[in-house]
Amino acid sequence: MQRYAINILLCAAALILVGLAHAGKLDGYVLHVITLIGINCIFALSLNLVNGYMGEFSCGHAGFMCVGALTGALLSVALFTDSTLFGTAIFASHWAPFLFPLVLIGAMITAALAGLIVALPSFKTRDDYLAIITIAANLIIISIFNNIDAIGGPRGFLGQQQTINAMSNFIKLPWMLIWTLIGVFICVIVIRRLMTSTYGKGVSAVCQNEVAAEMMGVNTNRVKIMAFMVSSGLAGLAGVLYAHHIDYVNPKSFDLLKSTEGLVMVYLGGMGSITGVLMAAVAFTLLVESLRFIIPMLNNGLHSIGLLPESYHLDQKWAWVFIPLMLILLMRFRPEGFLGNRELTHVFPRLKRWITLK
Amino acid sequence: MEFSLQNSIVNFLQQCANGLEIGSFYALIALGYSLVYGVLRLINFAHGDVFMVGAYLGFFISTALLAPEGMSGLSPIATLILAIPLTMIFTSLLGVSLERVAYRPLMRKGAHRLYVVITALMCGLILQNGNVALLGASHSAFPELVPVVVYDVWGVNINNVMLFIVITAVLVFLALHFIVSRTRMGMAMRAVSWDKFALPLMGIPLNKVIVFTFVLGSAVAGLGGFLHGMSYPVLEQDMGASIGWKAFIAAVVGGIGEVRGAFVGAFLLAFVETMVNAFLPSTYSDLFAFSILLLILWHRPTGIFGRPLTAKI
Amino acid sequence: MPLLKISGLTQRFGGIQALSDFSFQLEEHEIVGLIGPNGAGKTTVFNIVSGFYKPTEGKVVFNGRRINGLKPHQITALGMARTFQNIRLWNNMTVLDNMRLARYAWLGYSFWSAIFRTQRYRRAEKNIENQAREALEMMELTDYAEELPKNLPYGLQRRVELARALASKPRLLLLDEPAAGLNSSDADDLIHFIRWIHDEFKLSIWMIEHQMKVVMSLCQHLTVIDFGCTIASGTPEEIRNNPDVIKAYLGDDTL
Repeated sequence: MQRYAINILLCAAALILVGLAHAGKLDGYVLHVITLIGINCIFALSLNLVNGYMGEFSCGHAGFMCVGALTGALLSVALFTDSTLFGTAIFASHWAPFLFPLVLIGAMITAALAGLIVALPSFKTRDDYLAIITIAANLIIISIFNNIDAIGGPRGFLGQQQTINAMSNFIKLPWMLIWTLIGVFICVIVIRRLMTSTYGKGVSAVCQNEVAAEMMGVNTNRVKIMAFMVSSGLAGLAGVLYAHHIDYVNPKSFDLLKSTEGLVMVYLGGMGSITGVLMAAVAFTLLVESLRFIIPMLNNGLHSIGLLPESYHLDQKWAWVFIPLMLILLMRFRPEGFLGNRELTHVFPRLKRWITLK
Repeated sequence: MEFSLQNSIVNFLQQCANGLEIGSFYALIALGYSLVYGVLRLINFAHGDVFMVGAYLGFFISTALLAPEGMSGLSPIATLILAIPLTMIFTSLLGVSLERVAYRPLMRKGAHRLYVVITALMCGLILQNGNVALLGASHSAFPELVPVVVYDVWGVNINNVMLFIVITAVLVFLALHFIVSRTRMGMAMRAVSWDKFALPLMGIPLNKVIVFTFVLGSAVAGLGGFLHGMSYPVLEQDMGASIGWKAFIAAVVGGIGEVRGAFVGAFLLAFVETMVNAFLPSTYSDLFAFSILLLILWHRPTGIFGRPLTAKI
Repeated sequence: MPLLKISGLTQRFGGIQALSDFSFQLEEHEIVGLIGPNGAGKTTVFNIVSGFYKPTEGKVVFNGRRINGLKPHQITALGMARTFQNIRLWNNMTVLDNMRLARYAWLGYSFWSAIFRTQRYRRAEKNIENQAREALEMMELTDYAEELPKNLPYGLQRRVELARALASKPRLLLLDEPAAGLNSSDADDLIHFIRWIHDEFKLSIWMIEHQMKVVMSLCQHLTVIDFGCTIASGTPEEIRNNPDVIKAYLGDDTL
């Protein structure tokens, strides 16, 4: 029983969160930030599979998120809402809470297939060159969606949030939060279970010594396909949740800057550590959001002590100067991230008593 | 307009001319990517933004020289002659300080290569967003230093700025090629990429070679930025990202680390892009450029001129 | 039928002929050696046999099946394992996990069973765990099961690598310089050890080795190559007195 303590605690925390949101105790902004944290957790964890466990350097992970977001949004609109694009809904809207997983699964499968763009070249290429391929993949995906006018091209696509609204009309619950929590849960379970199995350890073997892996019977090409597909599939999950949360997706939201955000979270947390990356995703999202408040404060502060000329105002454009700067300092002084490739349970072995590792 | 064979030939030649110009910008940036990669095995992702900074510096320097406050400024030609070397000096200072402040401490610490690459990526973001934050998103217009003269060669429009740019790019390439293949410093640069530890045995300090590489690469990128400003006077902060990425791809396609490769790759990419633009909506050019990159890397991971990687046991 | 039959193997890298017309035969339950000066092409032979290189010409038949053209992992699954000249262990996972992964070709469950933790998965993992522990026990490495290989002394790392190769239960074991970096008394231990695993597991061993003591006392048959060409083959006694071999090792002048 003791071994399940943390799991029970986390479930309880999730339930309390949902309860608070349901009772209307959390204001819209807080809810928004919590949902974003969840989405970022999934995004970062999925990237961690490739960049952390497999030791490749994927810089274009947002591309797969884009695939998930757009196909998910399309599926959602087609299945549950009347639209000019697809005509009448396939299912009556009260089916939405039950059949929404179809949307999630559909988005994940398409994103996973998109992962093949990177997985197949990875047979022959590694390191820098593979990094470049991932960048190219990201840009290719964006530019494909930019060129499909039916879904709005560069203007983007919207309307999928009606599905979430339909769920709320049926049963009044904070559905977005619930689906995000489920998503995070699935993501952690999948990666955890994968990486503790001998099957998944093939990924670490490829990371450490690909030649030895192949020579000792590991089908490295299959391992790579599996890792890239799982990773991009989960990124697709992050994407479809993001699309439903924001209700407006255009390909530009998934450019290299978004991929860079993923990299920041993975390297902040420590490559190959689930708990580390989760911590980093939370910290990073909070940091980005808090800059909304910190920068105006900094602006006022500098003005009041006269360090800034009256004519100049610090604004949110500085956020993306501060964030990379922080990452540079992190690389310089703590390159292994919060936890390195260790889990929280390795840093605090006593935690092991309270948690099951399976 | 009547469609005829002659028209399509003229159109084709016009696209070739445009391709040459765009290729020159790609080449000037790609050379820097390749030089640094050749020496340090580092993808200097901030390099595209050095190009962008070059364009802005060129803009500030030439407007300042043309009309300093309270004084009558220099003539446009004198400005051009003075502003180009000044821009190059400043961008090379920028390149060297990036190396000093951001990359070298990490490398000296023996950090994993990827950390240095990410640091470079971050430096690029800082340059780009710092510029946006400082100057705002307003578009600055580059002053006209040389009056544009358009020549009509069998229906193909070519102007003097275009010619100037292409010739400069070719000269820069020849100069760099000479430096890398013939001079003592160039030999040292090639030696570093083979064996970092044997270099001090040649009597050349490693840091000197690295600094020299960054000076060369960044100066050439600055030159590229300046020329780009002359040809496309509207400056944008994301040009480092948009043009820089393409140039990077060009370097990779040619075989990153090879000066020749960067040059050939740049023109190849530019031609593909202009040809796509000629027959399809311009939004497709990215799609084609990147797809070509992907296919080339898939089948020949080290590019056209790159040495094939061999795994050893 | 020989366990391994190589005929007319040729390998060119660009313009360099690394191996020319190499033929070789290995019977079941034999220990044989492949020797030659540095750069003679010995490791190239192993790399071709284990599937890492595709030979320019020639044929490799293992256990009655043509294996050149197969991927290394497929060849491993057919019952061949090897060690490396420079140790190649997975340093980011424990010694036990290193053993586990040697069973990768015989996992017996799929991705989805791993995710859903099916009965099949649990049974297979238990099986793998047992075999991994068995391999450690055999090699007297049980105490180090939870260590990372990089934290072990060199000699132990070699043993872990050997254990990993044995954990895949091979019929043919390729050893690439097993005694490299070992001193004389360690080498003696190694000789006993190899003899023991040879008898215990009824396997065939083909080794590349520089230390003559090891080769001479273990191998029933030797092949000598130089510059990619076979210059002699025979029993250790014959090889010891073969003038071509002495010339290859010591140069012309000393004769």
